[in-house]
Amino acid sequence: MPPFAGSASNGFQQPKPDSNIIAIDVGGQLFQTTKQTLNLAGPKSLFSKISESASSNEFCTPFVDRDPELFSILLSLLRTGNLPSKAKAFDLQDLISESQYYGIESLLVNSLSNPSQFEAFNLEKSMILPINGRDSPSAIATTRYGSLHVAHGSKITSFDWSLRRKSTILTQFTAVDSLLAISPSVAAAGATDFSGLQILDLQKGFVKETLNWENVTRSSSTVQAIGSSPELLFASFESGRRNSNSIMVYDLHSLSPVTEIGHNEIYGAELDSAIPATKLKWVSGYNLLMASGSHSGPSGVQGNIKLWDIRSGNVVWEVKENTDCFSDVTVSDSLSVIFKVGVNSGEVFFTDLRNLGAENPWVCLGDRRKVVNGKKEGVGCKIESHGTQVFCSKGGDIELWSEVVMGSKKKSEDGLDDRVFRKNSMGRAEDMGGSRITTLAFGGNKMFMTRKDQQYVEVWQSYARAL
Amino acid sequence: MEEGTLQTASPELQPSDRIKLNVGGKLFETTISTLRSGGPDSLLAALSNRPITDHNPVFIDRDPEIFTVLLSLLRSNQLPSTARRFSKQELADEALFYGIESQLKLATSPPPFIGIDASVVATIRPASDGLPSAFTAAAGDGSVWIAHGGQISSYDWNLVHAETVRTHLDDITSICRVWPEIAAVGSDLDAGLHFYDFSSSRHVGSIQWTDSTDPRIYKARVTAIADSPSSVFASFDCPHRENCILVIDKSTLKVVSEIGRQSGNQAKNMVAGKMTWIPETGVLVGSAVTSGAFGYSGYIRLWDPRSGEVVWETNEPGSGRSSRFGDSFAEVDVDAEELYLFKICSKSGDLGVADMRNLGSDPWVYLKDKNPSLINSGGGGNSVMHCYRKQAFVGRDGGLEVWSRVAEAENGVDRENGFSEGLYRRNFMNKVEDSEKGNIKKIEGGGNRLFVSREAVEGIEVWESSYASGAMPVL
Repeated sequence: MPPFAGSASNGFQQPKPDSNIIAIDVGGQLFQTTKQTLNLAGPKSLFSKISESASSNEFCTPFVDRDPELFSILLSLLRTGNLPSKAKAFDLQDLISESQYYGIESLLVNSLSNPSQFEAFNLEKSMILPINGRDSPSAIATTRYGSLHVAHGSKITSFDWSLRRKSTILTQFTAVDSLLAISPSVAAAGATDFSGLQILDLQKGFVKETLNWENVTRSSSTVQAIGSSPELLFASFESGRRNSNSIMVYDLHSLSPVTEIGHNEIYGAELDSAIPATKLKWVSGYNLLMASGSHSGPSGVQGNIKLWDIRSGNVVWEVKENTDCFSDVTVSDSLSVIFKVGVNSGEVFFTDLRNLGAENPWVCLGDRRKVVNGKKEGVGCKIESHGTQVFCSKGGDIELWSEVVMGSKKKSEDGLDDRVFRKNSMGRAEDMGGSRITTLAFGGNKMFMTRKDQQYVEVWQSYARAL
Repeated sequence: MEEGTLQTASPELQPSDRIKLNVGGKLFETTISTLRSGGPDSLLAALSNRPITDHNPVFIDRDPEIFTVLLSLLRSNQLPSTARRFSKQELADEALFYGIESQLKLATSPPPFIGIDASVVATIRPASDGLPSAFTAAAGDGSVWIAHGGQISSYDWNLVHAETVRTHLDDITSICRVWPEIAAVGSDLDAGLHFYDFSSSRHVGSIQWTDSTDPRIYKARVTAIADSPSSVFASFDCPHRENCILVIDKSTLKVVSEIGRQSGNQAKNMVAGKMTWIPETGVLVGSAVTSGAFGYSGYIRLWDPRSGEVVWETNEPGSGRSSRFGDSFAEVDVDAEELYLFKICSKSGDLGVADMRNLGSDPWVYLKDKNPSLINSGGGGNSVMHCYRKQAFVGRDGGLEVWSRVAEAENGVDRENGFSEGLYRRNFMNKVEDSEKGNIKKIEGGGNRLFVSREAVEGIEVWESSYASGAMPVL
């Protein structure tokens, strides 16, 4: 009940004209707050209009024809920036539509799905998002505030930031292999068996634009990977005949081509040039693009990792992987470290971005003796970094690697600190195991994962923030 | 937001004026425009038109809790989550009392049906003799009439059981809702087309196919029923296989004409097992399929019901291209919105599409299935098809699949380009384990719901699309 429910409206005292206090009548119940609180909602919201109308007319209480109980929750949100616990009595969807009416949905997003609330050590399996139909997810993409796109078969299902609402569109793809969210309603999608990178409007379900790479053989251009920086969109293309590949750079907003880097034409038997980049990661701290690709042949898995300077179009650093090539590789901006998981050993390795160029740059974080036994324990492992942590999936489990900052600084020969990384297994005993994890993504305060042959997306978040 | 204006006793009420209501002892305050949004005939709108003579709130002797929900509905056009505390029936009854049932219907009816994003939301199980023998959802408001064990049960737009009528038939195999309260039913076992009125729960008429000049016409049973706004079409089949389609006037329930009488001595002239009337062209589409030791055979015929002439027909085997020899159709349906004919080939299981505006000797385009995971899903025998909302729904054995079109441009697909093999994409709607529930017997759409019945399975599955994600907490 609001604070003034007991007092009759005519007995309610009007504040003095010069007062900061504002009374609002919502659906028959009176609320009192201050101009400052109302103005926190931003100039375009209904609250600031209420505040204005209350100031212009001193003797009249503004009336809002809405539900008073929901209003009291949104007023608490306005006052404290957090939802009161009594909000749990309501469905989140009610709060969202009410906040949209008042024009303060962004406050709700900030309080419930803020990326700063991501707590890597406190993630628990909290939710399952079922996907209709028979196809299991092939790619997922997230936005900063935790809206999620899931490609399954020829369809893409988009969930809003609260994961309460969804919509599904049909695409021309047979299966989407790479997906990147440009905004909550626009995504870039590509497939290794379909020509062109498509920019899809996920609300109406049509193709906004198709980006093609004009290769020499005039064959189709399949998409091997998509990446983005705040301004640029990167796409790794391979020609349909698989005899050339390239990384195209587009402007993220206008989608016009900016430059082309790493164009390879394959004439001889040089394997390295025949490997298109299958992962593109922007390293904003260094203004570099990390591109990696690997190829599995009779002599084992070979691959390369390159760091590209987009402006000059040059490779700044390159490593060719012949023994214990990466199964997956990622880069952590905040740690300045490239991590890989070895395909033979299944162990996690790292190399410091500040100290590149060594003969064997990798430092093994596990049992390095496993490298020699020709097994392939790392096949299918995924590694992703988020914030200051690195998440590595092994089968159905996830290892969480984090850096331990040591107080006593012991200098190594090259002048850099010896870095200490330690791992933990994520989840409780009952959440461990399960089918092999196929994709990992992060958005808002949540971690998303899909598993092989499972028609759902698992959502992990910290319980205190669970919606 | 409504600007605060001091209430005066002026006779003309402005839509932004405030009004107080006392519902069961709880005070509510809202605006005239909110109360009137329920429609001019509602009780609330009537209250809002009362001249204000005193400032005492209007007293309504109803439950305040449900009123809170309904007031939220009027304010925001959507039901709040607190509505879950009440049963659908309670809400519907209370909305009926206030005269805002249409608002409730709008807020609770499912969104446009998209086969690629649909799931089973309910299973309707009649209390007795639960195996549905026929059903119809043609009313279009999401309601369904189910024939089971000689009874017809009606379920309203809320899928709440409304009424059951026992008919004299023991096994109803075809049913059509010819008027909002009148069902036309026919049986494989008994002669005649029979009309039952739900409002009075009684038999209101029968149609028998008789011909005093032809002794072979007797005990004609109904195999399919379709209707247009003015007529009912019923195909009749005699024990010696003579058959025809009778055109019956809807208002008088009398036979107007007989079309397409044939002897029934071969597949080309047997009785139509499926009929659809196309509103746009006024054409009646009928099809018949039979299967035997030498495969499937049948026909598709388009009649002009006014003249009784056949406008177009195709027979398989016989018509069509030689490359498809031995692959005659096993199932046919019409997309009355898009004016497409769909067929399922019996051997290959392929889907053929024909544009009804451009039918020739071989109008079929065979859709190519690009999804490699779906290719080996068997032939077209034992399949049923239904077109709804510009999508084709196909049940093959127990698996339910949807063929839908990809939007290519912002303005949708250009029809002028004709169609290509890749126009429709196939997707499964149900999971692998669901397809083991039983072979799909009938699919029908209505009111943005898809109703599916399975052989030897009690009840009818109700499929809906939803904007709700269906997220399941596991904490």
